[in-house]
Amino acid sequence: MSNKLFFARIALTTLALSGSLAAQAADFNFSGQLVYQKDVVQFDFSLANAGTVSIWTDSWQSGLNFDPQLALFDGNHALQLVFSDGGDSVSASAGYFDDGQVFSLLAAGQYRLTLSTFSNAPNGPDLANGFSYDSAAPIALADWNQPGYDINANDQKGGAWRVHLSGVQQAAVVPEPASAALLLAGLLGVAGVARCRQRGVL
Amino acid sequence: MGRPSQLKPAITGSNRRDFFKRSGATTVVVATAAQWLPLAADAATSSVFQHGVASGDPLNDRVILWTRVTPSLVKSSIAVSYVVATDPALSQVVLRGTSKTHPGRDNTVKVDAQGLRPNTTYYYQFGAEGVASPVGRTKTLPVGPTSSLRMAVVSCSNHAYGYFNAYARIAQRADLDLVMHLGDYIYEYGVGQYGSARTPEPAHEIVSLSDYRQRHAQYKRDADSQAMHRQHPLVAIWDDHETANNATKTGAENHQPGTEGDWATRVAAALQAYYDWMPVRPVDTANLRKNNRYFAYGDLADLIMLEERVSSRSEILTASRPTPFGAGFNQSDPGYGDPGRSMLGVDQEAWLAERLRSTPARWKMLGQGVMFAQLKGVAAANSAGGGTFLNSDQWDGYQPARDRIYEVLKGDATHAPVDNVVVLTGDIHSAWAADLTQDPNNNNTATGGYNPATGEGSRAVEFVGTSVSSPGVDSDSSGQIAGGLRFYNPHFKYINLTRRGYMLLDVNRDRVVSEWWFVDTAASPSRIETFAIAFAVVVGTNRLVPAAQTTPRANPPLLAP
Repeated sequence: MSNKLFFARIALTTLALSGSLAAQAADFNFSGQLVYQKDVVQFDFSLANAGTVSIWTDSWQSGLNFDPQLALFDGNHALQLVFSDGGDSVSASAGYFDDGQVFSLLAAGQYRLTLSTFSNAPNGPDLANGFSYDSAAPIALADWNQPGYDINANDQKGGAWRVHLSGVQQAAVVPEPASAALLLAGLLGVAGVARCRQRGVL
Repeated sequence: MGRPSQLKPAITGSNRRDFFKRSGATTVVVATAAQWLPLAADAATSSVFQHGVASGDPLNDRVILWTRVTPSLVKSSIAVSYVVATDPALSQVVLRGTSKTHPGRDNTVKVDAQGLRPNTTYYYQFGAEGVASPVGRTKTLPVGPTSSLRMAVVSCSNHAYGYFNAYARIAQRADLDLVMHLGDYIYEYGVGQYGSARTPEPAHEIVSLSDYRQRHAQYKRDADSQAMHRQHPLVAIWDDHETANNATKTGAENHQPGTEGDWATRVAAALQAYYDWMPVRPVDTANLRKNNRYFAYGDLADLIMLEERVSSRSEILTASRPTPFGAGFNQSDPGYGDPGRSMLGVDQEAWLAERLRSTPARWKMLGQGVMFAQLKGVAAANSAGGGTFLNSDQWDGYQPARDRIYEVLKGDATHAPVDNVVVLTGDIHSAWAADLTQDPNNNNTATGGYNPATGEGSRAVEFVGTSVSSPGVDSDSSGQIAGGLRFYNPHFKYINLTRRGYMLLDVNRDRVVSEWWFVDTAASPSRIETFAIAFAVVVGTNRLVPAAQTTPRANPPLLAP
């Protein structure tokens, strides 16, 4: 992993952690960058009480970036819904291929949301079943002709994504295991330094 | 040019457009009940896929598949599936995929189906909105040693001026490898401005993106056009009417900036609609005006497609010298001798020269818009001024640029001559066959002239196809005008100014035969076509000889159902 990518992921995780501090129903905005066509970003969110939840992307930007696809799993990671497109019916800032869904009475509980490229769909019925592109060789988005890209414009080559959740109590990006380990290693390193300082080794 | 005297009034009542309108009324009920693959064509198909399917720009491993989805309700995105198989029943599937479209693309769908085998006929189908499209048939190009190519060549399909009977006849020919369209696929005019057999949509001259899209949509709803597209891959270039009459890089005869706005804006709108609606693979998505590309048909033929309008063409000069055929110009008139005036532009000229010199193909076929051969109303050898030319829109108006191509054909100290070049042309709504020589009225071949009896001095040949429906000089029923033109222009071996139809090219390693097939009328729907004449060029000769009608291939692949 490049340093650039590492720090990008650390920053993302930091953002997610700060978002998770919110206690009441609120809006959460996450953004980041996919590198490969098979990349999947996961989010956890929770509702204390049943209520209306809106989820949408607005990063497609008329084809500047890849066409996203969202999937909603429950707290047990059972697939509930795959939704692609429809973002422009949720938010004026979303475009034709942005995703969006308004859940008018979503039950209280824990949920997991995944963001992938269209059409890297969950194999279902459980998140553990993975995604349809999992066994594919990675292709950088800049080099990938996404299904549904506009041949006349050679578009959807950018990796930026942005996801909005409205009406949830807590939300956070699920760190990838590798970056979580790195982050943890970093914290342990700092703790180790602190311990060393306490011991007067330095 | 005049309108045909036999023009019939527009059909009212049960015509094709009414059929589509009626079938659309049942859309909602049928579409919601339908499963999407496989499904027989029905009213829902007629509505959701009312613009048919098409394929184009075949290579040896891929081909563009095209359709347009018309949902019953306006949607911001539409999911589309497609399947490619080797049999008309779609049971031997080789490729499945998904695509999407949205209103920003006018709900058009364009897929570059890849991983296909060379020289193979495929059948394909789209699915959307719970409905399956008609099944289309297409074919990839061969690689390596190749012995045969058969293709139809069309141009100037004016919906307002008549019916696309020629398209329907081409659709019935199962043994064609592809159809080449040399431009004027649509026309930009409003009601009554150029043809009144059918009413253009929208009714006014098209200028905006929405206008151009509506016009393309109308053309794609034509049943004969759909039939041709459904059976054969298309290799298309645009001429002027895809933007506006007598278009150049900087303007057009039929563009008035004062009332119609900036030319660049209009061209951008026209080309966006063109690429949305045509089964064409863009050459450069950052510069849609660039459209020159070649198709290697094995080692038999290169189809070298030229862009002669909006990328680099210099302004068309005026002509004011009287001739028996109307106003003309001499090459010595102001501007005509300027070597800086261009038809192709520097880059495309260099690209063409490079491909002509380096291709391993036996035949080099230039698919291009305007007539390459000289067309004079007053004859004279070049040493005597060259005479008076009739059409400043064709290559005659760009003689220094044409001479540069002749220099490539003739070769020089460092480049071998280029033989076996066949120029294919549309634009002029009439049928012509020409030997190509720089000095057709000089009968001394020792001084670069041309012998009309033997063809000596010819460097290449040109076949000009007539229009699908646009009018020629339909009053020339006696052939007097054509005869007069041949008198002044001895390099033409055939001229017919009155008939509509298409060319059928039959290519093998020994010769290229062009057959001219004429429909009996474009003023009303008709299934009648007749063989008119054929000319050939034998390998290594670069000149025309009369030919017999060729034999269709035995056991061609099944037509799409």
